[in-house]
Amino acid sequence: MGEITLRPYEVSDIDEFLEWANDEEVNRLSRLEHFNSKEDALCYFKEVVIPHPCYRAICLDGRPIGFIAFEPGSGTARCRGYMGYALGTKYWGQGITTKAVKTLTSTLFKEFPGIERVEATAGLDNKASIRVLEKAGFQKEGILRKWMVFKGITTDVLMFALLSTDPPVSTS
Amino acid sequence: MDPSRISLRRFQLSDVDDFLKWASDDKVTRYLRWNTITSPEDALTYLEKIAIPQTYRPSICLDDRSIGYVSIKPGSGDDKCRAHLGYAVSAEYWGQGIATIALKMAVSDAFKEFPGLVRLEALVEVENMGSQKVMEKVGFLREGLLRKYGFCKGEIRDMFIYSFLETDLIK
Repeated sequence: MGEITLRPYEVSDIDEFLEWANDEEVNRLSRLEHFNSKEDALCYFKEVVIPHPCYRAICLDGRPIGFIAFEPGSGTARCRGYMGYALGTKYWGQGITTKAVKTLTSTLFKEFPGIERVEATAGLDNKASIRVLEKAGFQKEGILRKWMVFKGITTDVLMFALLSTDPPVSTS
Repeated sequence: MDPSRISLRRFQLSDVDDFLKWASDDKVTRYLRWNTITSPEDALTYLEKIAIPQTYRPSICLDDRSIGYVSIKPGSGDDKCRAHLGYAVSAEYWGQGIATIALKMAVSDAFKEFPGLVRLEALVEVENMGSQKVMEKVGFLREGLLRKYGFCKGEIRDMFIYSFLETDLIK
């Protein structure tokens, strides 16, 4: 397998972005909706991706094949933030997402010094995502019932969290 | 406690003295996200600017006198399906089942007041055993321990998360 790195998205990445973002399997499992046109995707880039505090492309040999993002909280929630990710289907099953999560979490607490807790949720039957979080050192904290609206339906999720004080996992 | 003596109603400015009696008590505000209120002016401001305008933030009343409050606040946008529950009762009236009576009323109010609400949740600090017992008696389910979840009184705290679903009402 080639080198996995994270970097910010650029508008010039739009075609590679659309390749994984419009992947049916990715749409099925993530909250990302299908983009009907390149213009819609460019709009999403302008409104969501570019201004985001931490939205990175998961790259294989420099080419974007997915995303990983971290959104810090504010007010009484300023000690925590939420992480999400998705990867193009043809790259599944090779440990790439796990590598991306470990890479991000290894620098996250330094990049966002007030953050002590990174949380992520996974659908109860999303075995792949659950494995990613476990391998990346996240601890399962419980099932939150009907916590999230997913494709218009309220769904149960598994809550995972990684603390700044949790034992580090090697990024290899 | 005779449940018919407990009621929930919107705060009025005339509740200020009763409100101040319990809102000025550190024991009562210990686990709340708002700070103890010590002056009648601050109490009036709180009632006028926060308690009265909120969609659902009634006073818990004993014989129509304020001895506490309940707050239910839904999220916005995608998070409208869930709402956060908070409450407090004057320390003078602890141990009589009053919070349980009041919260049972508030829970059934909430699903009527907020259409589209599916889940009520409450966060309770690990040391707050009194509130944990109340949650369980009202019928909330403890789902897990969220570590270093949020700030309370300037410190990051671990909190138990409890939920009550609209579908739990039927049971």
